[in-house]
Amino acid sequence: MKKSYLLKKLQEIVGNERVSVSSAELYCYSCDASQIRGMPDFVVMPASTDQVSKIVRLANENEIAVTARGAGTGLAGGAVPVENGIVLDMSSMNRILDMDLDNLQVTIEPGIVQEKLNEILEPHGLFFPPDPGSSAMCTLGGLIANNGSGMRSVKYGTTRNYVLGLEVVLADGTVINTGSKVSKSVAGYSLTDLFVGSEGTLGIITKATLRLRALPKERSVLLASFDDPEHAGKAVVKVLSSGIVPSACEILDRNIIDAINTYDPNISLPQAGAILMFEVDGTENSVLEGIEMIKDSCSDLATSIKAATDKEERDEIWAARRLVGAAVSRLDPLRTRVYVGEDIGVPIKELPGMLHKVREISEEFDLPIMTYGHIGDGNLHTGMCIDVLSDNEWDKLNRAADKIHRTAIDIGGTVTAEHGVGSARSDYLELELGKGLDVMILIKKALDPKGILNPGKMGV
Amino acid sequence: MNDLDMRSILKCVRCGTCRSVCPVFDVIGWESSSSRGRMLVAHGISQGLEVDESVFNSINTCTTCGLCEQMCPSGASPVEVIENLRHQLVLKGKMTAAQKLLRSEALEKGNPLGEIRERMAWLGDSEKDVRDKADYVFFAGCLASYRYPELTKRTFDILKNFGVTVMQEEVCCGSPLLRTGSDPSELVSKNLEQIKKIGAHTIITGCAGCFTTLKNDYPEDMNVIHVTEFLAEHLDEMELKKLDLKVTYHDPCHLGRCNGVFDAPRQIIESICTLEEMASNRELSRCCGAGGGVLKGYPELATELSKKRLEEVPDNVDYLVSACPLCCTNLKRGNPKIEVIDVIDLLEMAMK
Repeated sequence: MKKSYLLKKLQEIVGNERVSVSSAELYCYSCDASQIRGMPDFVVMPASTDQVSKIVRLANENEIAVTARGAGTGLAGGAVPVENGIVLDMSSMNRILDMDLDNLQVTIEPGIVQEKLNEILEPHGLFFPPDPGSSAMCTLGGLIANNGSGMRSVKYGTTRNYVLGLEVVLADGTVINTGSKVSKSVAGYSLTDLFVGSEGTLGIITKATLRLRALPKERSVLLASFDDPEHAGKAVVKVLSSGIVPSACEILDRNIIDAINTYDPNISLPQAGAILMFEVDGTENSVLEGIEMIKDSCSDLATSIKAATDKEERDEIWAARRLVGAAVSRLDPLRTRVYVGEDIGVPIKELPGMLHKVREISEEFDLPIMTYGHIGDGNLHTGMCIDVLSDNEWDKLNRAADKIHRTAIDIGGTVTAEHGVGSARSDYLELELGKGLDVMILIKKALDPKGILNPGKMGV
Repeated sequence: MNDLDMRSILKCVRCGTCRSVCPVFDVIGWESSSSRGRMLVAHGISQGLEVDESVFNSINTCTTCGLCEQMCPSGASPVEVIENLRHQLVLKGKMTAAQKLLRSEALEKGNPLGEIRERMAWLGDSEKDVRDKADYVFFAGCLASYRYPELTKRTFDILKNFGVTVMQEEVCCGSPLLRTGSDPSELVSKNLEQIKKIGAHTIITGCAGCFTTLKNDYPEDMNVIHVTEFLAEHLDEMELKKLDLKVTYHDPCHLGRCNGVFDAPRQIIESICTLEEMASNRELSRCCGAGGGVLKGYPELATELSKKRLEEVPDNVDYLVSACPLCCTNLKRGNPKIEVIDVIDLLEMAMK
């Protein structure tokens, strides 16, 4: 009875075509790219802030969960309705509302895809820097809600650094605006920063004003090969201490090198224990200087150093790196990449040690663990591929992931550097944040007393 | 669901790369219309998800264009999964009215169009040139025979100069049935029998759907080539004049991406006039929207897909050229202002 009442109300708000309760749709919205599952009761595709506000108010009055979703590319279950209720598919709110290019700003709706925005900005010589591996499909709303980043965060930082202001629908349907169009403001608590990375637990983002950067004139890519990941880790510390800030600094271990070479036969990365991929961007001179400085810093530790010869080679290597997370599945027909325990971050100095620990964990559980990631900012992706039909392998994987998480926390790191907490990692927040988690819970209660916004996430 | 399909479904890590390329998802926008969604639905069915209309729509709106597979980083094969799933559902008697109609028309009338007219009528006065024995057989296909009889005759009139014949009792190749989950073996046997009788070692076809079916789904080890491949080899013998035209070319998915025939049609075009590529082309070419039973089952969707593809036509071209009657048919539906012709039409212009 209640479901049919809610369905009717939702249809009144958004129209029949924008609500689905079909079995195929409910099933498709029951997961993201993580292992978390939860079946929605309704999938709604709102077209405006007003509609979002009315939907959230309806949910609040009836105490049912509302889970916002962008492209469903998340790796922690952030967009999965673990307590059922309404999934808000925000992907059709995808307009650019204002191109304020002289101010290096753009105001967007949350459903626009990262890469589409950058395609539109490119002719103007501008770009939005955070570039996750999923940039071809992920929405900016999802990116903001997760404070996502990517390969270039070592130089450009995370999404948080580019959000000037937000329009947010609160749990009772109230619409607020945070931040402003000025690049610095100390007027009040930074509510923008509160909502960025809140994973839909505090409000639904319906608009965002983003800061843009000028596209660099030049880019160059350098590959340095090492005997093992630990040597590569030491080289990273040395490079970053030398004063150069690469625009990307990625590590690929042996298995990942094989995966890339398998995925794209046009690429043949050197056979090494580990490769560091550096990218330097800027002016022609600063790029040349940067590349030389990186070469110098790596020379004692690397077994070989090679620069990409042309733009095509550079772009191809980068494109392959972007997709490697899934491409590791290609190495063995019976194994599939499972995103669990895949996103730790540690202080740069601890990198070689953490890499060594990962190898030990791999041996302890007799489970191949592939390491890649944004080593320049201490973010390591540990990739595990298992036969997903084997309970035994699931057990090993979960135990190995748990150990990876705890090890990262032990050495002052984090269980998630960019993929988010969602449901997948919420159990670790108390260990990582201590009493800080209590403050998070207080904030959550203040803003969402009935707990309707993305319940079951982030430990709140 | 067989083990192989389950393995393929499990290869999908749900990264969503296919969301960024699936032309159907681009039009519909709901997750169940993306390849990732279809893989999930396939998984759901294996876990007991009831096959209702929404599930049908998810599975049957795929044009089988294969772009998702081309781009899939984890090596999943959504097209294979979807075609097998359609087949298994049909075996259980679960199919849409459009699927049923396609099947009954093809099996009863020898063509999925429901035509009862004489199939070989397109031959006209060229009937006298049909030989009983030949090394090459031209397989015209249903759509070409009934909807483009003049083009089909023109094609044969060019081919017959090179010793090519046709089958007297050609029937549908089976492609529409295979793509929508039905068993085409009755049709396949009828065609095979005739091919054997003629003694041909090579089948030539001008339709991308027939091409991929004859090449990949027929049991015998036959040499199958597209008419553009055959003619590209004989360009020197055809005395073509240069035309002051600029054209663009649409790669039919089942000719290009699925079977790697990209160069032959371009070679013919470039020997005649200027070719300017569409925004997406070759392996990454966007689908016209007709394949996989979508034109028959979801004509409005097919039109929207066609419109999207036509947005990629460069400015100021005289013609959009393709090499498949099904693609041409659907592209014509998208925007009547854009003139869509077959490569053979262009060749004909250059021969006059």
